[in-house]
Amino acid sequence: MDTYRKLVKKYNFLKALPFILPFTIVYLIFLIFPIFRGLWISLHRWTMVRKMDFVGLDNYLYMIKDPAFWESLGNTLLFVVLSTPAIVITGLVFALICNQKIKGQLFLKISFFLPYVLSVAVVSSIMVYLFQPHSGLLNSVLQNFGVDQTIYWLGQDALAWFVIVFATLWWTVGFNMILYLAALQDIPESFYEAAKVDGATKFQELWHITLPLLKPITWVITLLQIIFSFKIFAQVWLITGGGPGTATRPIVQYIYETSFKENSLGYGASMAFTFFIVLVAVSVFQIYFRRRKEG
Amino acid sequence: MENNNSPTRKVIKYSFSYLLAVLFIFPIIWMLFASLKPSGFHVASIIEWFLPPYSIVNYFDVIDRAPVIRWMFNSLVVATSVTFLVIIFDSLAAFALSVIDFKYKNVVFVLFTVGLMVPTEANVVALFDIVNKLGLLNTYPGLIFPRVAIPLGIIILKEFFDAIPRDLIDSARIDGCGLFRIYFSIFMPLSKAAIASIGIFTFIQAWNSFLWPFIAIMTKEMFTLPVGVPTFTDAYTPDYSIPMTVNMIASTPAIVAFLLFQKQIIKGIKMTGIKG
Repeated sequence: MDTYRKLVKKYNFLKALPFILPFTIVYLIFLIFPIFRGLWISLHRWTMVRKMDFVGLDNYLYMIKDPAFWESLGNTLLFVVLSTPAIVITGLVFALICNQKIKGQLFLKISFFLPYVLSVAVVSSIMVYLFQPHSGLLNSVLQNFGVDQTIYWLGQDALAWFVIVFATLWWTVGFNMILYLAALQDIPESFYEAAKVDGATKFQELWHITLPLLKPITWVITLLQIIFSFKIFAQVWLITGGGPGTATRPIVQYIYETSFKENSLGYGASMAFTFFIVLVAVSVFQIYFRRRKEG
Repeated sequence: MENNNSPTRKVIKYSFSYLLAVLFIFPIIWMLFASLKPSGFHVASIIEWFLPPYSIVNYFDVIDRAPVIRWMFNSLVVATSVTFLVIIFDSLAAFALSVIDFKYKNVVFVLFTVGLMVPTEANVVALFDIVNKLGLLNTYPGLIFPRVAIPLGIIILKEFFDAIPRDLIDSARIDGCGLFRIYFSIFMPLSKAAIASIGIFTFIQAWNSFLWPFIAIMTKEMFTLPVGVPTFTDAYTPDYSIPMTVNMIASTPAIVAFLLFQKQIIKGIKMTGIKG
């Protein structure tokens, strides 16, 4: 019996091949192989035009002492810390607003979600003009309210960070809102009816029923948001270019500049591989956490 | 006890919710009106942004002056091909993982799941090298395949396929159907909703992707919209009309598609729960 089953399975493998092969080929070439290729490149000094020079762990040793690496990694972490709570909480608030008994729910939902379908290039462009110092929309509004001074939004570290976080929130909060809405709609109506019988106020309902029941999805959304925020590049590149100076330059931008502007692909690859390990660690933590929550 | 449905409460609820929603899409509305201002028009106060004169001459100007239509065509080719290939490749693989009991099945499944953790952002240097060696830099396939390699669709579709009753397979088998027939005539039609959601979601992600096209494209003719659009944004000119027109041209297809398919898109997000 056992040998028979083994035979069937072996035969089935041939039958499965045409189904799994097309994807597997693309997957191995464009997703799995680059990881190992990246590790290999990171052990070399390489400028694309010349031959690869094996240097062992030199790139990694250089990285540890490179203040620009730590600064850009720190900037990425700062962005994760600033953006995650802001975007998760705003997503929850928007979901609660859309989940009210209110006419025109669809309009609210569409409004909050719409920026998500825009390209990051368009979002960044709108933000650049919104926060433009002299004729930007925001400064003109502020002037109407009596603010005389011209605010250079992208000229100061703290303000530039604010603009980047704001742009990201505006662009992506709709995504979190949808996940929260789905969870809100899963809460049985009877819970609220029971609370009403007991004379609970709206706030008590929110605090004692809704929020505790949203805890699991909040973890999922938070961890997704953390991974997404770690990968920040495009908004910063297009809005501040990493500036003022290098004050908002994230790690992905530093990897890009090192590899493709300064042509140090070996060093770029070693930072990319380090960044890859960091992201995998975050993902593994997420999976472990989800399992523990479910099991 | 306070009345939850008192008129004041209702007014506050409605005005707060609607005000917030309108404020939120205000930048999009502004983009529309700014694109309708004649180029070089001086805007003295905020309200002037939204008042006539309107003109659509910018749109013709932009289309004449820059290869925006070409960029849109490039984006369309890339996003459509990615979507098409993702649907075919992912559904085939998901079918094998769900239906066929083959050797190394678990190994294959784990291998695909691991791929979910690999971000393009941390892979760009090696990907550039590989795509370059394959001679695919600055080509459509070079933009398409790295996106097709993402295994998310397989994981989602496998769950869907697992829920399809096995009796259907058995009776199809008795009728003499081969595996491809079962895949094509039973599994694909039964998973239309899931496939539509994955398709739309994949399309939006591919349409909007920035980092990889930004690195892999060398010439202006091959730009996709997200790479081309920023070449118009200039923080130092007070003339917003032209860049905002470019933004509008780049966004309109996405906005229209969203309004048409918003139900499926929202369903797709609930299903995938993954950001780009």
